[in-house]
Amino acid sequence: MSTSRSGRAGWALAVLVAVLVFTAPAVAGEDLEDRMREVASGLRCPVCQNLSVADSSSEMAREMRALIVDQLREGKRPEEIRDYFVSKYGQWILLSPAPRGVGLVVWIVPTLGAVAGLGGAVWLLRRWSRRGTAPPLPVDAAALTWIREAVQAGDSLAALTPEEARQVEALRELQFDYRAGKLSAQDYEELRALYETRAAAALADARRQRREVEALGPVAAPAAPARRGAAPRVWRWVTAALFLVGFGAALGYFLPQSVRARGDGSPTGDFLTGTREEAARAEAPDLPVLLQRGRQAMDAGEWDRAIGFFRRALEADPDEPTAHASLGLILHRAGHPDRALKSFERALARDPTSPAALWGKGLVLYESLGKTAEAVRTWEALLAQEISKEDRDHVLSILAEARQRLAAGAPPVERLRR
Amino acid sequence: MAWKRLVFIFAVGVPLLAVLAFGFTRDPREIPSPLIGRPAPSFSVRLTDGREVTLAALRGKVVFLNFWASWCPPCRAEARSLEASWQRHRGGDVAFLGINMQDREEAAREFLREFGVTYPNGIDGGNRIAIDYGVWGIPETFFLDRNGRITYKHIGALGAETIHAKLEEALQGVQSRREGKGEYQSIR
Repeated sequence: MSTSRSGRAGWALAVLVAVLVFTAPAVAGEDLEDRMREVASGLRCPVCQNLSVADSSSEMAREMRALIVDQLREGKRPEEIRDYFVSKYGQWILLSPAPRGVGLVVWIVPTLGAVAGLGGAVWLLRRWSRRGTAPPLPVDAAALTWIREAVQAGDSLAALTPEEARQVEALRELQFDYRAGKLSAQDYEELRALYETRAAAALADARRQRREVEALGPVAAPAAPARRGAAPRVWRWVTAALFLVGFGAALGYFLPQSVRARGDGSPTGDFLTGTREEAARAEAPDLPVLLQRGRQAMDAGEWDRAIGFFRRALEADPDEPTAHASLGLILHRAGHPDRALKSFERALARDPTSPAALWGKGLVLYESLGKTAEAVRTWEALLAQEISKEDRDHVLSILAEARQRLAAGAPPVERLRR
Repeated sequence: MAWKRLVFIFAVGVPLLAVLAFGFTRDPREIPSPLIGRPAPSFSVRLTDGREVTLAALRGKVVFLNFWASWCPPCRAEARSLEASWQRHRGGDVAFLGINMQDREEAAREFLREFGVTYPNGIDGGNRIAIDYGVWGIPETFFLDRNGRITYKHIGALGAETIHAKLEEALQGVQSRREGKGEYQSIR
């Protein structure tokens, strides 16, 4: 008996141990996963900003989760792991920042907002309900009787003032609706009582005013209150109209500017986005400005910048003669006569009278290629154009020199560059 | 009444707009580091040549610690300046150490070959060192003084001038008040 009992107990113990041994790792694994998620869901992923480390699929978040698991295995508490991440990334890493310092704002403002919203709602509801249960107006019995008679009489409304006519009309329509079965008896009674009271009050009021006016004399009153009511209304309309016009104008002005392609210059420039290089590269895309800035750069001897401006001008218009001619002059100076000549030819193909191109072409032919006769012909064509006196004198002097050389049959010499 | 309402709208609206406009001027990715002025986290890393190096072994020298990856354009942009700075400072009391992260080892080796990098570089498998240093945008560079304290941190590509200036500061134990920032690539 006793042996069988102890044997049974031994079996039970063995089964229990077996169950514990086989399920424990699985339970611990799930538990570890849960604890890891608990820590990770409170941490902000440094890559995707708005996801927690638990939810993010980025490589960094994956590695952070692995790190959390490792630290949990080492027996660290969740707070310790959180503190570790805060010591590396600062408070930034916490999805819910600690309620102190600037972090306090995040906790206080929504609470304040909720309190203010609830308070406002309560205040409004109370105001509305008070209006609903306002005590009934003291009714002038004579006016009430008069109204009821007027409604029942079914006379023409012509004899009444517009206000009286409107009240009576409303009551008659109510009665009609009730008879047509559109209103329940209870609703009809309630509404009729309300309308009648209101009408009687208005009627009594109007009559009192009329009496006061008569007492004051015929000239005095009626305009004054009307105008006092009308003046603010007019101002309101004027203000609204002005605002609307201003708003429309602002919208029309700013919208096209702000929807321009990025890098095409924006109303705020680089102030908000910090894209200074973009803005600089894209600024002044129109042709005359580019050409002028290119010439300025050329005069200042900044050849790289000048080439940049002319290249951009050619992007805008691939055959722009001034840009080609200017590039030709730069190429000539840089000692590339063949490419310079090509540039001048392109300029002349578009504008055969371009003074800059004619001048440059002559210069290349004379100075670098030794074709003095052709140079002379080119410059003669240049003199046929309208150019400033100073330029003309310069061309004439060099032309005289070239003709002399041509007559002497001597090869051209390297001239001092202009 | 209308005036009151207008004043109320302005009193609430203008500060709100100002806050939103201010937000536009900030980089939402920026994570200010709490590490500057603190002792640098210690680590041990396997170098590309197979050796193992610990930060503790570099105590007594100024350390230039640079986190990078071969897929990051600003890292490519600064690679030559880094090597040039190493050539200028090697032999002095300065140690350069690159830490490659979130990368494939072959790609990292190719990068080092391409730019002729001669200072030691370690491979940070699992990004444990990077997390330990709070890295969020690469290249990210830490300057450590002789006592192993972080004196300066820079996010983004570095120029030779800045490297020289900050190494000099670190040699004298001068700690920068602000971290530096340039063109960077967010980590993955």
